[in-house]
Amino acid sequence: MRFVAIGHAIALCPAIAQTDGHRFETSVRPVLAKQCIQCHGDKLQTAGVNFSVFPDSKSAAQNPELWRKVREKVSNRMMPPPPLPPLSAADAAAITGWIDSLAAAPGASGPPDPGRVTARRLNRVEFNNTIRDFLGITIHPADDFPIDNQGYGFDNIGDVLTLSPMLMEKYMAAARSVSRIAVYGEPYEKKSGIVGKLLTKSVQDDGQVSGTTLPFSMRGTLDGVYHFPVEADYLLQFRVTNRRGVEPGVDLSPGGAPNGADAPGRGRGGGRGGRGSRAPMTEEEKQARHEADRKAAPPVEFDVDVDGRQVLKDTVEGNEAYAYDRGPTVAKIHVTAGDHEIRAYFPAHADMDDPRTNLNPRDGRRRLAAEFVEITGPFDPSAQRPPSYKRIFVCGTHDAACARKIVESLERRGYRRPPGEAETRRLLKLVALVQKQGDSFDEGIRIALQAILVSPEFLFRIERDPVSGAGIYRVSNYELASRLSYFLWSSMPDEELMKLADQHQLSRQPVLEAQVKRMLQDAKASNLVDDFATQWLDLRALDRKKPDAAKFPTVDDELLADMRRETLLFVGDVFRNDSDLLDVIKGKFTYVNGPLARYYGIAGVNGFDFKRVSLEGTDRGGILTQASILTLTSYATRTSPVIRGKWVLENMLGAPPPPPPPDVPALEATRPGAEISVRARLEQHRANPACAVCHRQMDPIGFGLENFDAAGGFRTKDGKFDVDSSGTLPDGRTFTGANGLRDILLSQSTAFTRNFTEKTLTFALGRGLEPSDRAAVEQINRKLAANGNRLSALATAIAESEPFQMRRKDESLHASR
Amino acid sequence: MHPDNRVSRRSLLRGAGTALALPFLDAMIPPFARAAEVKAATPARVAFLYVPNGIVMEEWTPKTGEGVGEWALPETLPRITSAIAPYRSELMMLSGLDCNGGRALGDGPGDHGRAGAAYLTATHPKKSAGKDLHAGVSVDQVAAKKMSGVTRFASLELGCEEGVQGGNCDNGYSCTYSNTLAWSTPTTPLPPEVRPRAVFERLFGSLELGADPVRRRLQEMYEKSILDGVLEDARRLQTSLGGADKVKMDEYLASVRDIETRIQSVERNAKSLPINYAAPSASVPADFGEHARLMTDLLVLAFQTDLTRISTVLLSIEQSPRAYGAEIGIPEGHHGLTHHSGDKEKIEKVTQINCYHIKSLVYALDKMKAVKEGDGTLLDHSMIVYGSGISDGNRHDHGNLPVILAGRGNGTLTPGRHIRYSSDTPMANLFVSMLDRMGVEPEFFGDSKGKLDRLSI
Repeated sequence: MRFVAIGHAIALCPAIAQTDGHRFETSVRPVLAKQCIQCHGDKLQTAGVNFSVFPDSKSAAQNPELWRKVREKVSNRMMPPPPLPPLSAADAAAITGWIDSLAAAPGASGPPDPGRVTARRLNRVEFNNTIRDFLGITIHPADDFPIDNQGYGFDNIGDVLTLSPMLMEKYMAAARSVSRIAVYGEPYEKKSGIVGKLLTKSVQDDGQVSGTTLPFSMRGTLDGVYHFPVEADYLLQFRVTNRRGVEPGVDLSPGGAPNGADAPGRGRGGGRGGRGSRAPMTEEEKQARHEADRKAAPPVEFDVDVDGRQVLKDTVEGNEAYAYDRGPTVAKIHVTAGDHEIRAYFPAHADMDDPRTNLNPRDGRRRLAAEFVEITGPFDPSAQRPPSYKRIFVCGTHDAACARKIVESLERRGYRRPPGEAETRRLLKLVALVQKQGDSFDEGIRIALQAILVSPEFLFRIERDPVSGAGIYRVSNYELASRLSYFLWSSMPDEELMKLADQHQLSRQPVLEAQVKRMLQDAKASNLVDDFATQWLDLRALDRKKPDAAKFPTVDDELLADMRRETLLFVGDVFRNDSDLLDVIKGKFTYVNGPLARYYGIAGVNGFDFKRVSLEGTDRGGILTQASILTLTSYATRTSPVIRGKWVLENMLGAPPPPPPPDVPALEATRPGAEISVRARLEQHRANPACAVCHRQMDPIGFGLENFDAAGGFRTKDGKFDVDSSGTLPDGRTFTGANGLRDILLSQSTAFTRNFTEKTLTFALGRGLEPSDRAAVEQINRKLAANGNRLSALATAIAESEPFQMRRKDESLHASR
Repeated sequence: MHPDNRVSRRSLLRGAGTALALPFLDAMIPPFARAAEVKAATPARVAFLYVPNGIVMEEWTPKTGEGVGEWALPETLPRITSAIAPYRSELMMLSGLDCNGGRALGDGPGDHGRAGAAYLTATHPKKSAGKDLHAGVSVDQVAAKKMSGVTRFASLELGCEEGVQGGNCDNGYSCTYSNTLAWSTPTTPLPPEVRPRAVFERLFGSLELGADPVRRRLQEMYEKSILDGVLEDARRLQTSLGGADKVKMDEYLASVRDIETRIQSVERNAKSLPINYAAPSASVPADFGEHARLMTDLLVLAFQTDLTRISTVLLSIEQSPRAYGAEIGIPEGHHGLTHHSGDKEKIEKVTQINCYHIKSLVYALDKMKAVKEGDGTLLDHSMIVYGSGISDGNRHDHGNLPVILAGRGNGTLTPGRHIRYSSDTPMANLFVSMLDRMGVEPEFFGDSKGKLDRLSI
């Protein structure tokens, strides 16, 4: 078969008798000839792509990178661009099918190459988790470290994480304080007093919440975590602000208007007005006034929970005067050392239809709020050593043998492998040095622990090339244990993994599979949601986005936190129940609490606790219609269909649009006075063909979500324009609204699962994916599809894959040996 | 002052907590000191203050003549720079300088990432979203290398905006490029510290270590042994690691050695002074102005006590979406507004943001003027650069950058003027001239084409 390019005739080589070769001849090359060569041929070679140089499958197979790009552009229908006619579905499938078979063919990715992850230093999350699991203390020294550099969408990529002198200083300081706390417990004032104060913001501003100021809640909630230094009794003294009974237009000055008489049409209970004279009050009058104040406003329940358990149930009644006289609300608790969540709230406020009901119309401040809590203590502190002590001091005598035993156990856990003799001896010398200075045995051990915590063997996950042998090798059982635990738990291996590594059992397939299952069921697997999924979905961007308070007056910090919680619970549900991962897109359920349910217009959910609800029959369902995602893909004052489209393409389908070309001309400024909807403005993207190429991909997706405003609320009007949520994709398919968009995405479910596989593999390996990983990705993807798209199947397939189990040697290292 | 009243700093060292400090330098200068001794006791300091997303240049550039030349700074300056008019005798405004490294030069879009990375390095950063970042050594770090062992901290990296963790921040350029001003090697970014409390503790020692000097000395000795031990660990590791792993170990070794040098210099010079300054609260202020002022206080304190002589302050990062709603009533993000396409309302808002930012410089100038040192003030002995790597934020223009050079550089600068250079003069020329004045005499820096003339008369 000859094909003729414009202006050129290409001689044909005999067809190669291979299935994919035959496929290339019959189904792929004719399509290229008919619809692609015009631009991507010898004459024009647009974007440097020229299909004419591939007369047959064999020559084509030499360039897998090119075909990967072709596959992307074909499957996203970006090519051919309008006004040229699009590829038929059959032709597109033929091309992508052939390319996939190329990739999966043995030897397709070149010689086997599992890649080589660079030594990864622990990032902040991993550092905190590792300290927790190593020593059993919950302080988070890494919260003070500079943020980790990110690459390929994640902050655990070995090559990208750098170590600056400032960070090293922080490691030293952290090692010092962590080792002290682990051995001696945290320092605390022996004389009990006010140890801390948690203060809430009193207004919703546009600033970011930081430090010890707690997020703003219109409903008056106080929700924060406090780190208690020692196990003891503590008093929590709450200042509950009560500004009820202070209505506009009423003169509260002494000698002011009599009760209700001149108040402009506002019926309200007693107040201070009404006494014209300045004569001192009698006991009776005081009592009566007190009663009047108490009855002035109805009683409202006020609860305090610590770690989710109620420690106080109280009532706030009366107006401001009454509250002032009553004094602070106090709860007495007994807690262990470490972090504990304190939550003070008004249960009824969860069910306010509009939280602004709790705002005083006179000055906009809250009527009822838990403003701050002062923590006083410790009373009767436990004299026992901290629990971390027992973990460290595995023997009780203070002799050399015990020192060795302790140090070796610390090294084994800290370095995540059995210790070597030379390093142990060095640490023991340190212990001896300390004791020679007159310090205690315990202090000697503490110094050894501090040394371990700054050693490169602790701070980095190091994988050692074997001295002899082939160019690729299996990582050791210990290294495999670390890879597994940092993948699924973002923390160090536990004792069970280490024991299996001791016995060289971990690399055996049935053992590995069983461990993956166990690890996924462990509570620590919540890290896959809190760390991996948060980065995959770009949820951290929510920290920097705050809907404009004027346009979205009911969205406060508390609601934003609830929105975030919803998404984490939703994804956690899919992960934990090992459901079909596509439920992330199509799941017709979610988690809401009272405030969020009212925000969404969902009936039947009350209180502050989150419940799972069905979304059947509604417009919402899946991650795309969750307020967290809708907010982080918007500006403060308006939606951005472009950002939303880009988010979906990038995070859901793994097909990020190319960056804008240089010298992008600005969108024509609208005439002053002319008001057009966001959608109409964006139509200008499509009027200009230079913009249209990419924007006809992004914009329609965003249009499909236009029924959701910049804070995730449902709307049928954008300002004074009706929302038009229809979209037309580059291949001509049309859809309307979120439900239509959902169907479109599900029709590309393989793109979703492949992207999820790639993202998870990147996170698991700690390096970006290379062309040599193609075959592994295809293999993992097939296993995922064959097992109902379940997370456990994916995790197991990754753990069993070559890139995860093996590593490429650095030839240069041993060249000179 | 009577010769015997001269205070030995060592005598103040072992005191605990917040003993009262003396103004650092006055007490050190021997009475009847010769000029050279005075000069030695008042070394030159340098600081770079950075604002992103460009400036509304029509409201910045003084309306003096056209073309290349120099003019006295007039009393009335345009809207943004009017705030510094009262200080015009202590600063210079420079126009026409270029940061060519920020331009595309064939790499497509990414002007913000490039601007941030090229500003102090004067190189064209490598387009990379994470793995193989490559910029250059920044000018402050070139100077800092001379300070290793001389001052306790070779340099101080401060900031008021925590960098974004977003991998690909600007069209293929890693967020690290926009998050960092200072680079100690072309591949080692030095992240700024944004928490005032952390800066304080770093400068003046963790409050935890406060109490017992005997305890403190023992702990220091143990930590020296620890560091020796881990260095040995790392060196042994080096021989068995390959390729990129080795590079990571290099970073580790360099960082540990940095700490060791610092500890040694402390022992040699005994320069740490307890100070009378309340530690800032642990939280980061939400208000930008408050945050910037706190950082400036710490910077001035560090200069005053000679803990460092070199600093960079990243007031806000390139492409910053920060909204100044609570501060000046502008709820839209900064970066978005700077792409105004001529919209007068947006330009007005950007101008207001620029006016708001420059208040931080005014505050710094105030504070530095108030510190008396030797025969002048801290400001006299410093060179403070305030500016951005982009001039017109709407068009991503990397030429004619907004530059204020404040201070007298220990007598090496002649302030009070607006100088316009020819339009392809690299900003790096300024850096070469500044490095000269710091005692480093480089032949070139980045893309410099020589020194910057006219800076002193």
